[in-house]
Amino acid sequence: MAQDNAPVANHAPLLWGLAFVVAMFGTGFGARFAGLDGIWTMIVMLPPMLLLIPLIRSTERDGNFAGCSSPALKRYNRRGLIWSFSYVAALFFAISVNDWLKPEGPLLWLIAVLPALPIVYFVWGFYRYLVEETDEYLKMRYVTHALFGLGLLLIVATVWGFLESFKVVPHVESWMAVPVWAIGLGVAQIWHRVRGS
Amino acid sequence: MRNRLKVLRAERDWSQGDLAERLEVSRQSVNAIETGKYDPSLPLAFRIADLFGLPIEDIFLKD
Repeated sequence: MAQDNAPVANHAPLLWGLAFVVAMFGTGFGARFAGLDGIWTMIVMLPPMLLLIPLIRSTERDGNFAGCSSPALKRYNRRGLIWSFSYVAALFFAISVNDWLKPEGPLLWLIAVLPALPIVYFVWGFYRYLVEETDEYLKMRYVTHALFGLGLLLIVATVWGFLESFKVVPHVESWMAVPVWAIGLGVAQIWHRVRGS
Repeated sequence: MRNRLKVLRAERDWSQGDLAERLEVSRQSVNAIETGKYDPSLPLAFRIADLFGLPIEDIFLKD
Protein backbone atom coordinates (compact mmCIF):
# COMPACT_ATOMS: atom_id res chain seq x y z
CA MET A 1 0.00 0.00 0.00
CA ALA A 2 1.26 3.47 -0.83
CA GLN A 3 2.70 5.47 2.04
CA ASP A 4 0.20 7.68 3.83
CA ASN A 5 2.87 10.19 4.86
CA ALA A 6 1.67 10.35 8.43
CA PRO A 7 2.24 13.88 9.71
CA VAL A 8 5.16 14.38 12.04
CA ALA A 9 4.62 16.75 14.95
CA ASN A 10 5.75 20.21 13.88
CA HIS A 11 5.97 22.68 16.73
CA ALA A 12 6.99 25.73 14.69
CA PRO A 13 3.48 27.31 14.50
CA LEU A 14 2.98 26.73 18.23
CA LEU A 15 6.35 28.29 19.07
CA TRP A 16 5.76 31.30 16.80
CA GLY A 17 2.28 31.71 18.29
CA LEU A 18 3.71 31.55 21.80
CA ALA A 19 6.42 34.07 20.85
CA PHE A 20 3.75 36.40 19.42
CA VAL A 21 1.53 36.25 22.53
CA VAL A 22 4.47 36.64 24.95
CA ALA A 23 5.93 39.54 22.91
CA MET A 24 2.57 41.34 22.63
CA PHE A 25 1.64 40.98 26.29
CA GLY A 26 5.25 41.58 27.36
CA THR A 27 5.60 44.86 25.50
CA GLY A 28 2.07 45.89 26.53
CA PHE A 29 2.77 45.38 30.22
CA GLY A 30 6.28 46.82 29.79
CA ALA A 31 4.85 49.98 28.22
CA ARG A 32 2.34 50.33 31.04
CA PHE A 33 5.05 49.73 33.65
CA ALA A 34 7.26 52.36 31.99
CA GLY A 35 4.33 54.80 31.92
CA LEU A 36 4.36 55.24 28.12
CA ASP A 37 1.45 57.13 26.57
CA GLY A 38 -0.80 55.84 23.77
CA ILE A 39 1.43 56.68 20.80
CA TRP A 40 4.62 55.26 22.32
CA THR A 41 2.80 52.14 23.43
CA MET A 42 1.70 51.65 19.82
CA ILE A 43 5.24 52.20 18.55
CA VAL A 44 6.86 49.66 20.89
CA MET A 45 4.16 47.12 20.04
CA LEU A 46 4.81 47.29 16.30
CA PRO A 47 7.87 44.94 16.24
CA PRO A 48 6.00 42.10 18.04
CA MET A 49 3.25 42.48 15.43
CA LEU A 50 5.78 41.45 12.77
CA LEU A 51 5.90 38.02 14.40
CA LEU A 52 2.51 37.44 12.75
CA ILE A 53 4.29 36.97 9.40
CA PRO A 54 6.44 33.95 10.42
CA LEU A 55 3.50 32.65 12.47
CA ILE A 56 1.18 32.55 9.45
CA ARG A 57 3.92 31.24 7.13
CA SER A 58 4.80 28.40 9.50
CA THR A 59 1.10 27.61 9.92
CA GLU A 60 0.72 27.38 6.14
CA ARG A 61 3.82 25.20 5.78
CA ASP A 62 2.52 22.96 8.53
CA GLY A 63 -0.89 22.82 6.86
CA ASN A 64 0.65 21.81 3.53
CA PHE A 65 2.71 19.12 5.20
CA ALA A 66 -0.17 17.79 7.30
CA GLY A 67 -2.51 17.77 4.30
CA CYS A 68 -4.98 20.25 5.76
CA SER A 69 -4.40 23.21 3.52
CA SER A 70 -6.65 24.68 0.87
CA PRO A 71 -6.62 27.73 -1.46
CA ALA A 72 -9.48 29.25 0.57
CA LEU A 73 -7.50 28.85 3.79
CA LYS A 74 -4.49 30.55 2.22
CA ARG A 75 -6.67 33.50 1.13
CA TYR A 76 -8.13 33.63 4.65
CA ASN A 77 -4.62 33.80 6.13
CA ARG A 78 -3.60 36.58 3.71
CA ARG A 79 -6.68 38.54 4.71
CA GLY A 80 -5.74 37.89 8.32
CA LEU A 81 -2.40 39.61 7.80
CA ILE A 82 -4.09 42.53 6.02
CA TRP A 83 -6.64 43.18 8.77
CA SER A 84 -4.11 42.74 11.57
CA PHE A 85 -1.71 45.32 10.19
CA SER A 86 -4.55 47.62 9.06
CA TYR A 87 -5.92 47.46 12.60
CA VAL A 88 -2.61 48.54 14.12
CA ALA A 89 -2.19 51.31 11.50
CA ALA A 90 -5.76 52.58 12.02
CA LEU A 91 -5.34 52.51 15.80
CA PHE A 92 -2.03 54.35 15.56
CA PHE A 93 -3.59 56.96 13.25
CA ALA A 94 -6.69 57.40 15.43
CA ILE A 95 -4.69 57.85 18.64
CA SER A 96 -2.29 60.27 16.94
CA VAL A 97 -5.07 62.42 15.47
CA ASN A 98 -6.96 62.38 18.75
CA ASP A 99 -3.86 63.46 20.71
CA TRP A 100 -2.84 66.25 18.31
CA LEU A 101 -6.10 67.66 16.99
CA LYS A 102 -8.41 66.97 19.94
CA PRO A 103 -11.31 66.59 17.49
CA GLU A 104 -14.95 66.98 18.47
CA GLY A 105 -18.30 66.16 16.90
CA PRO A 106 -18.46 64.10 13.67
CA LEU A 107 -14.65 63.99 13.26
CA LEU A 108 -14.32 62.45 16.72
CA TRP A 109 -16.95 59.86 15.78
CA LEU A 110 -15.04 59.09 12.57
CA ILE A 111 -11.71 58.78 14.37
CA ALA A 112 -13.24 56.58 17.07
CA VAL A 113 -14.81 54.20 14.53
CA LEU A 114 -11.70 53.97 12.32
CA PRO A 115 -9.90 51.17 14.25
CA ALA A 116 -13.08 49.07 14.09
CA LEU A 117 -13.14 49.04 10.26
CA PRO A 118 -10.39 46.37 9.90
CA ILE A 119 -12.47 44.22 12.27
CA VAL A 120 -15.42 44.58 9.88
CA TYR A 121 -13.04 43.40 7.13
CA PHE A 122 -12.00 40.49 9.37
CA VAL A 123 -15.65 39.42 9.83
CA TRP A 124 -16.17 39.69 6.07
CA GLY A 125 -13.01 37.59 5.54
CA PHE A 126 -14.36 34.95 7.88
CA TYR A 127 -17.64 34.87 5.95
CA ARG A 128 -15.73 34.65 2.64
CA TYR A 129 -13.71 31.71 3.94
CA LEU A 130 -16.88 29.79 4.73
CA VAL A 131 -18.25 30.60 1.26
CA GLU A 132 -15.01 29.79 -0.60
CA GLU A 133 -13.93 26.65 1.29
CA THR A 134 -14.87 23.63 -0.82
CA ASP A 135 -13.39 21.07 1.57
CA GLU A 136 -16.32 20.18 3.84
CA TYR A 137 -14.17 18.64 6.58
CA LEU A 138 -11.90 21.68 6.87
CA LYS A 139 -14.95 23.93 6.88
CA MET A 140 -16.65 21.88 9.60
CA ARG A 141 -13.45 21.95 11.65
CA TYR A 142 -13.11 25.70 11.33
CA VAL A 143 -16.76 26.30 12.25
CA THR A 144 -16.26 24.10 15.33
CA HIS A 145 -13.21 26.16 16.37
CA ALA A 146 -15.09 29.42 15.77
CA LEU A 147 -18.05 28.20 17.85
CA PHE A 148 -15.67 27.29 20.66
CA GLY A 149 -14.29 30.84 20.49
CA LEU A 150 -17.83 32.24 20.51
CA GLY A 151 -18.77 30.10 23.50
CA LEU A 152 -15.70 31.28 25.41
CA LEU A 153 -16.53 34.90 24.55
CA LEU A 154 -20.14 34.57 25.74
CA ILE A 155 -19.06 32.98 29.02
CA VAL A 156 -16.23 35.45 29.70
CA ALA A 157 -18.36 38.49 28.76
CA THR A 158 -21.32 37.36 30.89
CA VAL A 159 -19.26 36.38 33.95
CA TRP A 160 -17.14 39.54 33.72
CA GLY A 161 -20.23 41.68 33.12
CA PHE A 162 -21.89 40.49 36.33
CA LEU A 163 -18.63 40.82 38.29
CA GLU A 164 -18.44 44.37 36.95
CA SER A 165 -22.08 45.08 37.91
CA PHE A 166 -21.31 44.03 41.47
CA LYS A 167 -18.16 46.18 41.34
CA VAL A 168 -15.83 43.25 41.96
CA VAL A 169 -13.67 43.84 38.87
CA PRO A 170 -12.73 46.92 36.84
CA HIS A 171 -14.45 47.88 33.57
CA VAL A 172 -13.10 46.26 30.39
CA GLU A 173 -13.65 47.87 26.99
CA SER A 174 -15.97 45.95 24.67
CA TRP A 175 -13.38 45.87 21.84
CA MET A 176 -11.76 43.08 23.88
CA ALA A 177 -14.43 40.81 22.34
CA VAL A 178 -12.33 39.99 19.27
CA PRO A 179 -9.12 39.08 21.17
CA VAL A 180 -11.13 36.86 23.56
CA TRP A 181 -12.84 35.14 20.60
CA ALA A 182 -9.46 34.72 18.86
CA ILE A 183 -7.97 33.14 22.01
CA GLY A 184 -10.86 30.67 22.04
CA LEU A 185 -10.30 29.90 18.36
CA GLY A 186 -6.59 29.32 18.99
CA VAL A 187 -7.23 27.10 22.02
CA ALA A 188 -9.67 24.98 19.98
CA GLN A 189 -7.12 24.62 17.17
CA ILE A 190 -4.39 23.57 19.60
CA TRP A 191 -6.79 21.14 21.28
CA HIS A 192 -7.55 19.56 17.89
CA ARG A 193 -3.82 19.25 17.16
CA VAL A 194 -3.12 17.66 20.52
CA ARG A 195 -5.90 15.14 19.92
CA GLY A 196 -4.29 14.37 16.58
CA SER A 197 -7.29 15.24 14.45
CA MET B 1 -20.51 4.79 10.70
CA ARG B 2 -17.80 2.36 9.56
CA ASN B 3 -16.30 2.35 6.07
CA ARG B 4 -14.06 0.28 3.81
CA LEU B 5 -12.12 3.20 2.44
CA LYS B 6 -8.74 2.02 3.69
CA VAL B 7 -9.20 -1.46 2.19
CA LEU B 8 -10.42 -0.10 -1.14
CA ARG B 9 -7.51 2.30 -1.22
CA ALA B 10 -5.05 -0.49 -0.43
CA GLU B 11 -6.45 -2.61 -3.28
CA ARG B 12 -5.54 0.17 -5.68
CA ASP B 13 -2.25 0.98 -3.94
CA TRP B 14 -3.32 4.57 -3.38
CA SER B 15 -2.01 6.73 -0.57
CA GLN B 16 -4.37 9.00 1.32
CA GLY B 17 -2.86 11.83 -0.71
CA ASP B 18 -3.68 10.02 -3.98
CA LEU B 19 -7.28 9.52 -2.92
CA ALA B 20 -7.55 13.10 -1.68
CA GLU B 21 -6.29 14.37 -5.02
CA ARG B 22 -8.82 12.26 -6.93
CA LEU B 23 -11.66 13.47 -4.69
CA GLU B 24 -10.39 17.07 -4.70
CA VAL B 25 -10.37 17.25 -0.91
CA SER B 26 -7.58 17.63 1.67
CA ARG B 27 -5.64 14.60 2.87
CA GLN B 28 -6.88 15.41 6.38
CA SER B 29 -10.43 14.88 5.10
CA VAL B 30 -9.60 11.43 3.78
CA ASN B 31 -7.84 10.60 7.03
CA ALA B 32 -10.80 11.84 9.13
CA ILE B 33 -13.29 9.80 7.06
CA GLU B 34 -11.14 6.67 7.09
CA THR B 35 -10.64 6.76 10.84
CA GLY B 36 -14.33 7.40 11.48
CA LYS B 37 -13.78 10.86 12.95
CA TYR B 38 -15.92 12.44 10.26
CA ASP B 39 -18.87 11.16 8.25
CA PRO B 40 -18.90 12.67 4.75
CA SER B 41 -21.88 14.51 3.34
CA LEU B 42 -24.09 12.65 0.86
CA PRO B 43 -22.58 14.43 -2.18
CA LEU B 44 -19.03 13.49 -1.07
CA ALA B 45 -20.13 9.93 -0.30
CA PHE B 46 -21.51 9.69 -3.86
CA ARG B 47 -18.23 11.04 -5.26
CA ILE B 48 -16.32 8.38 -3.30
CA ALA B 49 -18.71 5.68 -4.52
CA ASP B 50 -18.37 6.87 -8.13
CA LEU B 51 -14.57 6.86 -7.85
CA PHE B 52 -14.48 3.26 -6.65
CA GLY B 53 -17.33 2.21 -8.95
CA LEU B 54 -19.32 0.79 -6.06
CA PRO B 55 -22.69 1.48 -4.44
CA ILE B 56 -22.47 3.68 -1.33
CA GLU B 57 -23.66 0.84 0.92
CA ASP B 58 -20.67 -1.27 -0.17
CA ILE B 59 -18.32 1.40 1.15
CA PHE B 60 -20.12 2.84 4.17
CA LEU B 61 -21.56 0.43 6.68
CA LYS B 62 -23.91 0.85 9.61
CA ASP B 63 -22.30 0.43 13.06
